[in-house]
Amino acid sequence: MPLAKSRSSAADVALNVAAQDMTSLLADLAATESGVRRNAVRALGLHPGSAAALCDRLQVETSPSVRAVLFTTLIRLQSPAVAVRLAKLLRSDDAPLRNAAIEALQEMPDAVAPHLQTLLADEDSDVRIFTVNILAALRHRQAPEWLAVVVRGDPHVNVCAAAVDGLAEIGGPETVQDLRDLRGRFAGNAYMEFAIDTAIRRIGAE
Amino acid sequence: MTASFSTRSNGNGVTITDEEYAKFCEFFYRKTGIQYQDNKKYYVDRRIVERISKTNSESFRDYFTMVRFQVSGEELQLLVNSMTVNETYFFREDYQFDALVTGILPAVVQGKRRGDPIRIWSVPCSSGEEPYSIAINILERWEQADHWDIEIHASDIDTKILAAARAGCFSERSVGRVPPQLLSKYFKSKTAGEYQICDALRDSIDFSLVNVVEPAQTKMFRNIDIIFCRNLLIYFDDVGRREAVEMFYDCLAPGGYICLGHSESMSRMSSIFQPRKFKDTIVYQKPVSEE
Repeated sequence: MPLAKSRSSAADVALNVAAQDMTSLLADLAATESGVRRNAVRALGLHPGSAAALCDRLQVETSPSVRAVLFTTLIRLQSPAVAVRLAKLLRSDDAPLRNAAIEALQEMPDAVAPHLQTLLADEDSDVRIFTVNILAALRHRQAPEWLAVVVRGDPHVNVCAAAVDGLAEIGGPETVQDLRDLRGRFAGNAYMEFAIDTAIRRIGAE
Repeated sequence: MTASFSTRSNGNGVTITDEEYAKFCEFFYRKTGIQYQDNKKYYVDRRIVERISKTNSESFRDYFTMVRFQVSGEELQLLVNSMTVNETYFFREDYQFDALVTGILPAVVQGKRRGDPIRIWSVPCSSGEEPYSIAINILERWEQADHWDIEIHASDIDTKILAAARAGCFSERSVGRVPPQLLSKYFKSKTAGEYQICDALRDSIDFSLVNVVEPAQTKMFRNIDIIFCRNLLIYFDDVGRREAVEMFYDCLAPGGYICLGHSESMSRMSSIFQPRKFKDTIVYQKPVSEE
């Protein structure tokens, strides 16, 4: 029989899980091997004081797998300060990095909430669109209301369209009037008409 | 979901309209990948109503708001638990075993030298049907099996279920999809309706207690070529899923594969694996070269 029993403990085991001190872990963030960097990031997740260093690493890290572990660890370490650092990545030209930041911020509702007003008022409409994308999947009771605020006041058609899409997902009947009013602000825009109709239908008010 | 619905009510006085039901199904699909068809309406309804009652919610809307916005995600997890069925049997989702012997294993050995072991990890292995099915499929259907040393590791978090897996005794229902000639070849009939897997197979699989969220336990598994992790991650929250697949990434050999359950998709958890299609299934491959 070709099946060979091998105890899992004998399978190229690396059982050295002894706690490393933070200084050596921080040094490992710059190690050549990506596996060493991933392990360092995970271990630093046990040190809340390392969050700033992990955010710093995110700025220069290019390995997708290490980036992934960095984001996951920062989600665990989430704080308003971490959210502010991640929000800066919304301006990045690196699309995978930017999208990963959006996904991470969606996972930290309480941490990102205090910063949302600032982001929704950003002069860069792309940043506002990404913020709306965050809101549309944010587990926060006020998320529908924040999207409604965007629909009521944002001057940019694409930002409003993103907010309408978000409300189609999470909006309730109380947001329908705002959606109806939006028609007037972008009259004649066929896509907006379609998006608003779809959102209202999905909310179930018509 | 295309059918036209009617309003349903229940003994607790809670009513779930058809629009609410459709909205729930869409939400649940986005969160878990599990899609309920029209024939599951009663099943889904009953479990939602049960959770509404247990959480003292006043209506579906109250309950649904809590599920969507609760920061801990605890109620969503409880709902998922109540929606899923823990059962397994031999040759379950056997299109993946087809892919294993016709595509994945041939691809794995392309990067190996004779003498290198092939390592397969079934986690969670539950009562053993999956790792034994893997073994039988390899022995029966992979013509290169005799040329390689194949290790099958099988892990679960539940000591009781692991003991059952090691004992290898199965009910008639569990072996219902095993063809008669394989039943007589690999099983011995114990009492009426009970079968025990043969000693040779029982002795060839390495069963171990592992909690996949415990790094000290998963560090034992390195250079794994193929991981079967089916219908486990649907029980995890989003960040837990991310951590789990990132852990599997480190367990896999470069170019190794992970097979998920039919309702699970890696794209909703992580982008660090590459999707690969083998026969009728999509599996996920760790890049061959480390970045």
